[in-house]
Amino acid sequence: MTGSETGLADRWGSGGVELELSAEAAEFGRTARRALEDAGGDELVQAAEREPARRADLVAPLLTELGAWDLDARGSADELEAAAALCRAAGWWALPYPVAERLARPVDLDADALVVVAGAAPSAPVAGLNLRLAAVTLDGRRALAAAREPAGGPAGDPRRTAFVTRLDLTALDGALGEATPADLALGLVLPCWTLLGMLDRAMALTRTYILEREQFGQPLARFQGVQFQLTDAEVERAGLAELAGYALWSVETGRPEAVDDALALRLAAVEAADVVFRVTHQLHGAMGFCDETTLSWLSRYSLPLRRLPLGASATADALAARLGRRGLTGIFGPNADAVPA
Amino acid sequence: MATGRTREMTSVAPAARDLAELRAELRAWCRANVPTGWRRAQTGIGDEEFVAFQKDWFQRLRRAGYAVPHWPAEWGGGMSAAEQMVLYQELAAADAPRLVLAFVSIHHAASTLLTAGTDEQRRRHLPAILDGELWVQGFSEPEAGSDLASLRTTARRESRPGGDVFVVNGQKLWASGAVHADWCLLLARTDPAAPKRRGISYFLLDMCTPGLDVRPIRNAIGDAHFCEIFLNDVEIPAENLVGPENAGWQVAQATLAAERGMTMLELAERLGNVGLRALVDTCRTPGPDGRRPIDDTLVRDRLAGFDAEIAGLRALCRDLVERHDTGAVGPADASVVKVYYSELLQRLTGFGAEIAGLAAHTELAKPASSGWESGAWLLDFLGSWEWTIPGGTNEIQRTIIGERGLGLPREP
Repeated sequence: MTGSETGLADRWGSGGVELELSAEAAEFGRTARRALEDAGGDELVQAAEREPARRADLVAPLLTELGAWDLDARGSADELEAAAALCRAAGWWALPYPVAERLARPVDLDADALVVVAGAAPSAPVAGLNLRLAAVTLDGRRALAAAREPAGGPAGDPRRTAFVTRLDLTALDGALGEATPADLALGLVLPCWTLLGMLDRAMALTRTYILEREQFGQPLARFQGVQFQLTDAEVERAGLAELAGYALWSVETGRPEAVDDALALRLAAVEAADVVFRVTHQLHGAMGFCDETTLSWLSRYSLPLRRLPLGASATADALAARLGRRGLTGIFGPNADAVPA
Repeated sequence: MATGRTREMTSVAPAARDLAELRAELRAWCRANVPTGWRRAQTGIGDEEFVAFQKDWFQRLRRAGYAVPHWPAEWGGGMSAAEQMVLYQELAAADAPRLVLAFVSIHHAASTLLTAGTDEQRRRHLPAILDGELWVQGFSEPEAGSDLASLRTTARRESRPGGDVFVVNGQKLWASGAVHADWCLLLARTDPAAPKRRGISYFLLDMCTPGLDVRPIRNAIGDAHFCEIFLNDVEIPAENLVGPENAGWQVAQATLAAERGMTMLELAERLGNVGLRALVDTCRTPGPDGRRPIDDTLVRDRLAGFDAEIAGLRALCRDLVERHDTGAVGPADASVVKVYYSELLQRLTGFGAEIAGLAAHTELAKPASSGWESGAWLLDFLGSWEWTIPGGTNEIQRTIIGERGLGLPREP
């Protein structure tokens, strides 16, 4: 990938909105990506699909070694940024494991992971894992969750499900049943960083492909019509990267509108993923739909992230319902001079 | 809804029989012959059942005179363009199964034989196609996709006691339905020294010939109708050459042209009938929260938009067919239709997948013999990519529209 991977600008305007990860977090992300590569890289998701029962063993020990579960995403700004960088690295390899969900785990519940779910038919890509799960709905109710065993064994048939399974929720009483703003915001934002990592990768793969694939005596990349398609996708990806930074800052600094920002990020992520995968598949041609190409795996495993808890229309609906006539606070209003909380 | 309107043609040649009469006849025939519940019966079936069903349906259509309406009367067709339009409208309205398996045979193979074949080749193959002979197109190669003319499979002429043969070596890719095919439309290079479009020849290849190896490719939907064909010293008798040696590119252009026109009209009618109905049904089905998507204003807005776009598509297709009939077809007209249809199909099936929600992602069963919009929306959406990539990618179509349609200069 080119230098655009971490975004176009590190700071917009002269105010306090920080869009770029700290140098330490970015370095942690790079280290994680390399470590995952050494552990198998693209082979990890393929191995998990072949042997679904092994998927935790394939990646969890490595993540432990990286210190993933020591990260306190709710307590420390630096560690939250490191968590985001780790999610992005996991997305790059389409890592078959709920990294973002584990990093978003609540601190006041006995749970290893937190998933944001739709009120009806709650589901998440957590089949076949021995995790204690908590769930939070978009209207801010928390519950304990148990993953149902899908048809065809503990992890089901991941080629058809991408490890998605239904959850049975047990409502929590009293204060424990009420989500903190951080639950919802963090639970929405971190998976978007995973999806961002997938888009980074899809763009990098396609850039390489069109530089190498020759038709009419020249690389496809020489055709401006091809370039323009990839640039349109890159504009989407780059915009998402900026917004991901902003939403993370909003969570980090405890902005009152953090959940709005998280939903706005989620909507942008789903829409950007549509454009990026549309373009990258089109430019890969028929080959991109065959499992001989990495793109095929990436786009298949991106689907749960794009559909859950809600798809584009329902996410837009939820965001509109929250915002009413108010609109988003954004980075140029009062936040331009905001002092981090 | 656009589905209720059927404007009769006035600008094409007068029909041999009254179109209203034909329409009534077709409706009665469909009522009596379209198998009830075929969608359910075709869901989750094996390959053998699919092939048997397709062959049976083809023979039913054939007996009624509806299987190859576009062929000349002497070979079993003979419907005017206006009559064919009525036929495809009625088959679509009745949700009849599609002729998926015989598609290449009755369109590409027949059009090749009728345009460029010898009498002997026609006599050998056209009746056989009516009896169920299946064909596959062997054009694309690993290094020759959009740039088809750069194909590298070679055919070398050699003398044999029984007559000349061409010895073929190479590899073909994305050959849809090759596992079922009896014969292959094959492009191979016969003159490596000539400019790339002048050194290609067009062959009819018997798929039982020694040296052929067909391997299915599993795609994202999980099915394997795409195949690779490996050719290792495969011998083709010289009489199976179509058109002059080294003029295969020109023959192929005629074959590819047959992919458009009436075949697009049939697809547009399908989209306007079964497709839109299935989408509206999906929107009427309550989601897990008990609400019906169709009660949402935004959803209704999208449906209305699709209805309008489909009306535009049907008009474009009708126009293309009319122009074909009167010899007034423009060099980019077919490309306009392909870009319009393919991108509309992707948007519509993508919307279906979104509305159908998670269920669409886990219930992955599509009825065989259905169209590109079966109502199994996720599979339909993935399948819709077969429309912007094969048969000339949309990038190629746009180039044609720009250069041949709008008269813009070629890309440097």
